[in-house]
Amino acid sequence: MNHDPIRLEVFKHRFAAIAEEMGAVLRKASYSPNIKERRDYSCALFDDQGRMIAQAAHIPVHLGSMPLSVEAAIQKFNTFRASTDNLDDPQASQGLAPGDVIALNDPFRGGTHLPDITLVTPVFVENDGLPTSQRSGAPALFGFVASRAHHADVGGITPGSMPVAREIYQEGIIIPPIKLVEAGEINQAALNLLLANVRTPEERLGDLRAQIGANQRGALRLREMVEEYGHAEVGRYMETMLDYTERMICRLLSNLTDGEYTFSDYMDNDGIDDQPVLIKVKVKIAGDRAIVDFGGSAPQQKGSVNAVYAITLSAVYYVFRCLIGLDVPNNAGCLVPIEVIAPEGTVVNALHPAPVAGGNVETSQRIVDALLGALANVAPERIPAASQGTMNNVTIGGIDHREEEPRPYAYYETIGGGMGALHNQDGPSAIHTHMTNTLNTPAEALEYAYPLRVLRYEVRRGSGGEGQHRGGDGIRRDIQVLGKAQVTLLTERREQNPYGLNGGQPGIPGENILIRGEDEIPLPGKGTADLRPGDILSIRTPGGGGYGEGQIQAKDLVK
Amino acid sequence: MQKVPSTFPEGRLRIGIDIGGTFTDFVVFDPSSGHIHTFKLPSTPHDPAEAVLLGLSRISERSTGRDSQAIDLWNITHGSTVATNALLERKGARTALITTRGFKDVLQIRRQNRPELYDFASSPAPPLIPAEMRLEVDERVDHRGKVTTALEEEQIDQAISKLQSPTASQQSPVDSVAVVLLFSFANPEHEQRITEKLRAAGFFASASHEILPEYREYERTSTTAVNAYVSPVLDRYLSQLENALTLEKEGDLRTSNPEHPASGPSTSLTGVRASMQIMQSNGGSISVGEARRNAVRCILSGPAGGVVGSQYVGELVMSPSPSTPAELRASPEEERRLSGQGTGLRMLTFDMGGTSTDVSLIDSQPQITTEAEVGGHPIAIPLLDIHAIGAGGGSIAYIDAGGALRVGPESAGADPGPACYGKTMKELSSGMPRDGEGRNSHPSLHVHNYPQATVTDANVLLGRIPPDDFLGGAMPLYSELAEKALKRIGEELGLSATETALGVIEIANAHMERALRVTSVERGYDPRDFTLLSFGGAGGLHAADLARKLRIPEVLISPYASTFSAFGMLAADVIKDYTQTVMLPGRSSSEEISDRLAPLAQKGRDDLHKEGILEENIILQRSLDMRYRGQSYELNLPFAEDFINDFHQAHRQTYGYDRPGGEIEIVNLRVRAVGQVPSPQIAPQAIQSADASAAQIDYRPVVFTDGTREIPFYRGEMLQPGNQITGPAIVVRDDTTILINQSDRASVDAYLNLRIKIGNQK
Repeated sequence: MNHDPIRLEVFKHRFAAIAEEMGAVLRKASYSPNIKERRDYSCALFDDQGRMIAQAAHIPVHLGSMPLSVEAAIQKFNTFRASTDNLDDPQASQGLAPGDVIALNDPFRGGTHLPDITLVTPVFVENDGLPTSQRSGAPALFGFVASRAHHADVGGITPGSMPVAREIYQEGIIIPPIKLVEAGEINQAALNLLLANVRTPEERLGDLRAQIGANQRGALRLREMVEEYGHAEVGRYMETMLDYTERMICRLLSNLTDGEYTFSDYMDNDGIDDQPVLIKVKVKIAGDRAIVDFGGSAPQQKGSVNAVYAITLSAVYYVFRCLIGLDVPNNAGCLVPIEVIAPEGTVVNALHPAPVAGGNVETSQRIVDALLGALANVAPERIPAASQGTMNNVTIGGIDHREEEPRPYAYYETIGGGMGALHNQDGPSAIHTHMTNTLNTPAEALEYAYPLRVLRYEVRRGSGGEGQHRGGDGIRRDIQVLGKAQVTLLTERREQNPYGLNGGQPGIPGENILIRGEDEIPLPGKGTADLRPGDILSIRTPGGGGYGEGQIQAKDLVK
Repeated sequence: MQKVPSTFPEGRLRIGIDIGGTFTDFVVFDPSSGHIHTFKLPSTPHDPAEAVLLGLSRISERSTGRDSQAIDLWNITHGSTVATNALLERKGARTALITTRGFKDVLQIRRQNRPELYDFASSPAPPLIPAEMRLEVDERVDHRGKVTTALEEEQIDQAISKLQSPTASQQSPVDSVAVVLLFSFANPEHEQRITEKLRAAGFFASASHEILPEYREYERTSTTAVNAYVSPVLDRYLSQLENALTLEKEGDLRTSNPEHPASGPSTSLTGVRASMQIMQSNGGSISVGEARRNAVRCILSGPAGGVVGSQYVGELVMSPSPSTPAELRASPEEERRLSGQGTGLRMLTFDMGGTSTDVSLIDSQPQITTEAEVGGHPIAIPLLDIHAIGAGGGSIAYIDAGGALRVGPESAGADPGPACYGKTMKELSSGMPRDGEGRNSHPSLHVHNYPQATVTDANVLLGRIPPDDFLGGAMPLYSELAEKALKRIGEELGLSATETALGVIEIANAHMERALRVTSVERGYDPRDFTLLSFGGAGGLHAADLARKLRIPEVLISPYASTFSAFGMLAADVIKDYTQTVMLPGRSSSEEISDRLAPLAQKGRDDLHKEGILEENIILQRSLDMRYRGQSYELNLPFAEDFINDFHQAHRQTYGYDRPGGEIEIVNLRVRAVGQVPSPQIAPQAIQSADASAAQIDYRPVVFTDGTREIPFYRGEMLQPGNQITGPAIVVRDDTTILINQSDRASVDAYLNLRIKIGNQK
C-alpha cells in the first residue's frame, strides 16, 4: 500500500472541510434566494492540473461539470498551455497570477447553462522544501478552488434566464473565461458590462462578491494546510485521495456482472417541435472498467433541452457515486475507470450555439433515468424505478406595483415530485430527486418578496406508480398572480411517464394548468405565457415509478 | 454575565438534576458551606421520575440528619430527556394539525430537499402528524396582516367536531392540536379564535403565533407540531414529580419564608419544600407551568446545561480569589484571553461521551442558533448552538473498501461496549455506511463473533487508561481483548496493533478537530483566543492533543466533568425569548421600532414577574434581525439608536462587504428577558504546595507517537489546589482520565479545576 491509511483519513476530513467552509461563506454572504434559501451552489477544490479533489455535498448536477470549468480557466490563462487563440488576449498572455479570479458561464467553455456562474481562483503557495538560496521567490501554482452559484437572472429574453429559446444568445449574457479579479483588483469594466446585461444588477453584484469571498476562504485554508504539512505531502495526498475514490469505484464495477446493458428513455419534446427526444445508453461492464455510451441518442435540438458534455458527465458521475454508498470523497477519481462516450452534436453533447438552459435541469434528469434503467438489468436490487425526472422550472416575472415605486421582479423556482420506489421501500413523496436538491421558497417569503399568492401547496395524491412498493407522489403548487405577469415553464414528464421497474406501474405524468376564473386551460410543458391579474398557475408534478407487481397494502395508502 | 444580588431565595440547598440515557446526575450546592456534592444513579427509562425521586430522597436523608426540626427548602433546576425521547422515539401525544386551506402538507413536503444526496434510499423522517390528522379551514391573511378570507365560526366547529369523533383508523383520541395558519404572526386573530375554542373543548392546543411568531411556514409548523407532540408527555411527567414533591406555586419564590409545611405522599420527602425550575435549550430555565405548555423549549436541555456550566466555570476562574497565590493567578495575557479583551469570556466547550461529542463556542455569551433540527424536525426557536458529531469513546474502527482506516460514526455504545469490556458481541444496529456492494461495509456484518476495536480500546492499548482503575476500579478492562481487536485491523493494514491504536486516536481527533473548526474558525474566530473546556467522560484523553492542533493555549477540566450538565443547571438564569416578524423598512425611526419592541419587552417583564423574579434582577435584551432587501438571511444585532449604521458595519465584518446606500429590511424583532439568579458561591479552597507527589500512584509505560515512555500516574481525587504536574503524565479519576503531554504543564486551581497549559512543542 503506497499511502498511510491513517493520514488518508485525516486528509479526507481536511479537504472536505475546506469545500464545506467555502459553501458556508457563500450561503451566508449571498443575495439571491436561489443561493441562500434554495442552496443552488457548489464549492470544490482542485489540484494544479485541475483534477477535482473534494466537493462539498451540495448539488449533484455540478459534480462532473466543475472540473471542466477549471480546465477551461487553465486552457485560457495558463501560459504554458496557451492555445493559439489566446495570443491576441493580453489577459491570457499574462497567465495566472496570485489574486486572480476567473469568472465564466459559457456552456461551451467550461459552463453548464448561463445562470450558473462559476468563479475559479488559482491558489499559489511559497516554494517549500528548498533551501532559501534556491527559492525562485515567485510563489508556485498549487491548485484551484471554485464556486458555482445559480444566479437568479443573467439577462436574455425572459426574466430568470430560463427561456425556451432557439439559440444561446437569447438565454442571457455569455461570459467566456475572463479575469473578473486581476491580481486582487476587480476588473470594473468587465463587471460593468456584466451588470448592464442583467435585470437585477445589485443582487448579481452581491452574489458575485459572496462567491469571491468563498473562494478567498478556500484558498486561505488550502495555503494553511500546505504551511502545516508541506507542499509535497499535501500534493501526495491529493493524489492519494483520487486513487482512493478510484479504488472504490473499481471495486463497485468488478462486483457487477460483465456484459452490455442498454436502455432508452425519452424527453417529451424540445419545446419547439412536438417530438419526443431519444436518450439512449449502452453500459458495457468488463472487470473493473465500464464504458457508458450514449451513441444513438437524438441529435441536438432547436429548443433548449440540449445538454453540454459537462452535464452528461455529471449525470454519469452522480449515478455511480450513489452506487458506491455514503461518505466517499467526491473527486475526479470516480470517473477514471469509466469511459463516457457522448457523440458531438447530439442532445447529450451539444455544440455551439445550441440553446442549453434546460440541459442542466431537465435533460440531466433523463440521462440519469436512462442510465439507471440500463443498470437495473445488472443490479435490480439497488436501482430505483424512475423518479419524477424533471425539476419543474417555473419563472414568473413582471412589475411589482405594491409600493410607491414600481420595481421589476423575477421569481424562479423548481418544484419537487415523486421519487421512484426501490425493491424494498416506497418512494418518498414531494421531494427533489437525483440531480438537484434545492430548497423551496417558503410561501410566506414569496408573498413578501413578490406580488404573488400561493393558494395550494400539497401532495398530489395518487400520482405515484403502483406496485409492490409505490412510487412517491408529486406536488401540486398553485400560485396566483396579483398583477400582469409573464410565466416561463421548463418542465418534463408531462407526456412520457416515469417508468416502473420489475412490474411496477409508471408514475402519473405532470400537468401545467392555467386557472382563469372557471376555466382550466392546459399549458404546454415548455413555453411562455402572459398572465392576467388573478390568474392561477397550477403546477402538478409527476409521481415516481412503482417497483414490483403486487397489490397495494392498506398501510401504503396512508402517505 | 454579571450576577447581582437577588431576593431569589438564598440560603436554600440548590440542586441540579439531569436525566441522561444511562445515568441520572445530581449536583447539590450547600450555600452554608459553599461546597458541592455530586452523585449519579442509574436512569429509569420506564419511569424517569423514579431515579429523580430516589436521588432527592437521598439528599433529604443527608440534610435532615443535620437538623431534623427544620423544613428543608430546596431550589431544584431540572433538565430531562423526557421531551427529547418522546420526539426521537416518536412516543409523543396523539396530535392533530389545523391549518390554512391548501397547506396541510407543508409538514410533509418540508423544504423539498432530501436528507442524503447520494443515496437512492434516502427518505425524510415521516411527519409527526399523519395526513389524516391534518385538517384545513378556509381563511386567509396576507403578508401585511390583512384578512383576505374571513374565518367562519362554522369552520372551527367542524374541525373540532372532527377531532372529537375519531374515525375507525385512529386507535386513540386526539389529545393535542397544533394550530398553524399562514401569516398568523402578522395577524393572529384567526389562530387565536381556533385555539380558544380548542382549549375550551378540552384539547391541549399549541398556537404558532404563541410558539414562534416568525415567517417561514415550514419551520414554524414544525416547531409548533413538536411542541404539540411532546408537551403532554412532559406535562404527565412533571405531574408525577409534583405529586411526589411539594412544589411551591409559580411566584412563591418571592417569599423566602414558607407559610405551611409540606405534605407530599413520599415519606422521605415530607420535610422538604421545593421550588422547581425546568432547564431549557436556550441556556435558561423556566417554571414548571411554562415548561408543560412549551415543552419544545426543553428539548436539548442537557447539552445546554453543559454550556451554561462552562460559562459559569469560566467566570469563576476569571475572578481570582484572594487566596490564590500569584503564580496561579491569571497573567494579564491570560486574562485578556479569558475575557476577550474586556468583552467577556472566550471558551470552546468540548463534551466527549461514549457515542458522540458536542462542541460549542462562548464569546462572552453562548452562541444562539434558530436553525436546530432534532430527529429530522426543525426547531426554529433560539437554542444554544451546539454542534454534535458521531465520534466518542465507543466509536468503532474499521477499514473501508478503499483501504482507509475509519472511526465511527457507529458506536459500540455501552453494550457490547468497547472490546476491552469483554461483553458478548451483539448484532449492531443499522444505519451503517454501505460499501461498493451495497452491503453494510462494517466488518461486524461480515463476521459477528468478535468484538470491535474502539477509541477506548486504542487508549487502553496505549496505556492511557489503566485497565484495573476504570470508573474507580468498578469495572475491570481486558487489555488483551483491546489488543486482539486492534491487531486484527492492523494486520489488514500492515501495521502493528500499537500503530493502529495511534492511528485510531489520530482519526478520532481529526473528527473532533473538524467539529471544533466548524464551531470556531469557520465563524471567524481564532482558537488561539480561547480556552478549551473539556467535560464528559472521554474528553480528558483527547483535549490536550486537540488544543495543540488548534493552537488553543489552555485546557480546563472541571472536577464535575461527568455531572457537568447538572452542575451547569445550578447556574442557569431564568430566560425567556420573544420574537415577532415585522418586515419593517430600514427607514423606520428608532422610536417606531422601540414602540414595536415595547409589547415584547412588557410581556418578558410580566412573565418574569410571574416566575418570581424581582424587577431589579430583570435584564431585557432587545435585538433586531436585519438584512439588505432581497437577501434571505438575517443578521441579529442589539437594538440601538444607530441601528442602520450598526448593520452596515456588522455586514462588512461578517461578510466582507457592505452597501452603504442599500435598502435595509428589519425582519424580526427579538427580546430576550433574563431573570438573573445568583450563581452558587462556590468556596475557593486554600492553595497548597506545588508538589503533587502525594497524589502520584504509579509509574507506567504509555505509548506516544514518538515512542513509549514510563510516565507518572496521579489520582485526581487526591490532587490539592496548587499542585502542579509537568507532562507527560496521566491523571486518573473515577469519572475520567486525563492526558498531559510532554511540554504541557498542569496545575490545580482553588476550585479544583485541572488547568493544562499547552507547551510550544509542535
